[in-house]
Amino acid sequence: MYEPSELDITRLPVVPFPTVYQPDSYDDHRGKGTPLVIDNGSTNLRFGFATSSTPRSGLNAIARYKERKQNRPLLLFGEGIDSESGAKSQTRTPWEGDVLLNFDALENALDYAFIQLGIDTSSVEHPVLMTERLASPLHSRALTSELMFEQYSVPSLAYCVDSVMSFYHNNLPTPPTPFTSDGLVVSFNSASTSIVPILNGKGLMSHSKRIPWGAVQSTEYLLKLVQLKYPTFPTRVTSSQTSWIMQEFCEFAIDYPAKLRELKDPLKMRAAGRIIQFPFTLPIVEEKTEEELNRVSERRKEQGRKLQELAAKSRQEKLVQRESELQNLLSLREKRDTENKKDWQSTLAAEGFDNDAALDGTIKKLEASLKKARKKDVDGDEMEEEAPSFPLIDVPDADLDEEQLKEKKKQKLMKAGYDARERARKEKDREREEREAGEKREEDERDNDLEGWAIKMRREHEAIMNKIKERNRRKAALTDRKSAASQARMKNIAHLAADERVPKKRRKANGDDMFGADDADWAIYRKINPAAGSSDEEEDLSNLQLVEEKLLAYDPSFTVDHTHASLASQKSALVSAFKPPYEEGDVEGKTRIHLNVERWRVCEAWLSPSMAGVDSAGLGEVIQNVLARFSDAEKGRLVKNIFVTGGPSQLPGLVDRLHATLRPILPPEMPLHIFKAKEPSVDAWKGMADFAKTDEFRTVSVTKAEYEEWGGERIKRWWGGNWNSSVPL
Amino acid sequence: MAIDGEAAPSSQEEDMPTYCSIEAPPSVLPQKHYCDITGLEAPYTDPATGLRYHDKSVYDLIKGLSTTVAKDYLSARGVNPIVK
Repeated sequence: MYEPSELDITRLPVVPFPTVYQPDSYDDHRGKGTPLVIDNGSTNLRFGFATSSTPRSGLNAIARYKERKQNRPLLLFGEGIDSESGAKSQTRTPWEGDVLLNFDALENALDYAFIQLGIDTSSVEHPVLMTERLASPLHSRALTSELMFEQYSVPSLAYCVDSVMSFYHNNLPTPPTPFTSDGLVVSFNSASTSIVPILNGKGLMSHSKRIPWGAVQSTEYLLKLVQLKYPTFPTRVTSSQTSWIMQEFCEFAIDYPAKLRELKDPLKMRAAGRIIQFPFTLPIVEEKTEEELNRVSERRKEQGRKLQELAAKSRQEKLVQRESELQNLLSLREKRDTENKKDWQSTLAAEGFDNDAALDGTIKKLEASLKKARKKDVDGDEMEEEAPSFPLIDVPDADLDEEQLKEKKKQKLMKAGYDARERARKEKDREREEREAGEKREEDERDNDLEGWAIKMRREHEAIMNKIKERNRRKAALTDRKSAASQARMKNIAHLAADERVPKKRRKANGDDMFGADDADWAIYRKINPAAGSSDEEEDLSNLQLVEEKLLAYDPSFTVDHTHASLASQKSALVSAFKPPYEEGDVEGKTRIHLNVERWRVCEAWLSPSMAGVDSAGLGEVIQNVLARFSDAEKGRLVKNIFVTGGPSQLPGLVDRLHATLRPILPPEMPLHIFKAKEPSVDAWKGMADFAKTDEFRTVSVTKAEYEEWGGERIKRWWGGNWNSSVPL
Repeated sequence: MAIDGEAAPSSQEEDMPTYCSIEAPPSVLPQKHYCDITGLEAPYTDPATGLRYHDKSVYDLIKGLSTTVAKDYLSARGVNPIVK
């Protein structure tokens, strides 16, 4: 049994109760027109005034829930949804994967954001900087603009791409130098991963690419793998638990094939594995104490005794009844001697007897049964059976009259029955003696030569196991149409159905074929019918069991592991390292998940989504494609400053893996540097806040008047925003 | 297309990125085969179910799987063998 050390097991974290945030005071920003920065992400909503150093953040999800106790409708946001158990099923998110579609939920989320910031005026009087997706669909943009301008009456609104702003924050120019950095931004988002090249401080959106694989898809993939590995897992694994598992244990392998080759070794696989213990409940074993057990057995004995007494009583009653009947009949018979014939007949008829003989017969039967019953009461079960005598059999037929012939026939039958019974008893005795003799012989052999006996038994054991294996192989071969066994079977069937089986002459004579006349003919059905032969199997299995029992009892070197059952269910070392088995009653063990290969397999999907079924190029290939569209000089400028940002970029091993992927495809003298964002989750918001404080922010925003003229889809083109449906400044 | 000797209009409109146009294309690199059960390298494929497997012991495991479980494994890879 695999006993993991204590260090390897991690328990699932307990979900903390959500904290209630108090809204900020509005006094700092009332009437000042400080820019509002909202990072509208698929997972988290980050919001705050541009002057704050850090944003407020909450899970971007809304739930409308009607509370049961007071029948109040509640609107819950973010982690607050966890506070009401029924609210989780009502969760709505503004984002459907990567696209912003649900604007009711967005309105509620923004309501929460504005309330938390303390805004108490009827309209939001701050210029807003919001994020949108790379090359966001115009529909999403139009509806968001409509929401902001019509509902909240913001004075101006600007959109930006979060990855570029994160890059901006990490490459902040010191004023008055304008922003002219070069770099390639790789942004990991919840439902996609995008690559945006930046030259001279301008994001080149036309050369950017988006891979439809992100944290959400990875979590689903990990969940699917876990469910396939543990189909009978006792508790349900939720997506949030899986995402915690992914963040804790999964990492990028620098060289995936080499890692797999390393994990091929079962020992290495066990060492690389991590165990997650899910909560479980131990079943309550009702331990009956000694006295309880005694009480139960006492009660059972009492009941048995009572039943016996009842039976004895009923027997007594029947006995008495029969005795009284006997008395009646005897007195009746005595009457016969006193009455004359006619009266006697009528008396007999009244009692229900046909004639004298019947009466006598009944009396004799009653007497015999009474005698037996009385004897049983006295002796118990042991009864002497005297050899009954059949005197009339020896007398020849001619001498007897009708009555006596009948008697003789009866006696012949009785004698035949008696003889048969005697023979059966003798057979049984003989068999018993033979069996005992055989056992005694075996015991002697065992005592004298344990080795030899053990070898003989083992050979038998092997022979039976081989027979079983052969039969299984034959059964498996029959399912395959082209195997020799099934072709032979078809030949047999064809031969049976063929006309040449019956020779021509006999056909003309009587037309029937003589199948079945010979008993051996029926054996063909066993060969044709693949399901037949189960009785043989049972016989073999029972023989095997007997042999195994004897071996287990007397041979010290034959253990449970050698028995057929354990050999058949043996799993290889690799499979048991991959998914260590636990015993049946081990509740704690059965609620454990072992992760070994999945730790690297899940992250590998970013670099090759086709292994998870998504028909798209992976990260390495897409970066290569993006870089291919630039000249060498520009390429050099881009790869000198590759910037990795986004929540999922915190998975370990990413930078090394990217370096290993990109180094071979670039000219060796080109310097390659990969940087990670300082705070991957929050840097986009910080970049936006930095930008909102500059003057440029005002020039790129769409004012309310411009919105009313252009509609919601048109924006101004600037270095950090999208290009689709944009006008130059 | 040049009209009357004029230079062809700059193809700025075609460069305009939309949400669908910036999606990554399908991969052209040859895909490695990984075992559907264990995730290790898979040089072999089971002809009956189509599952890829790592070695003999994993094959024994595959032989014992029911068809629904085998289809689940395939759908994790994105192969949906549902015959309509």
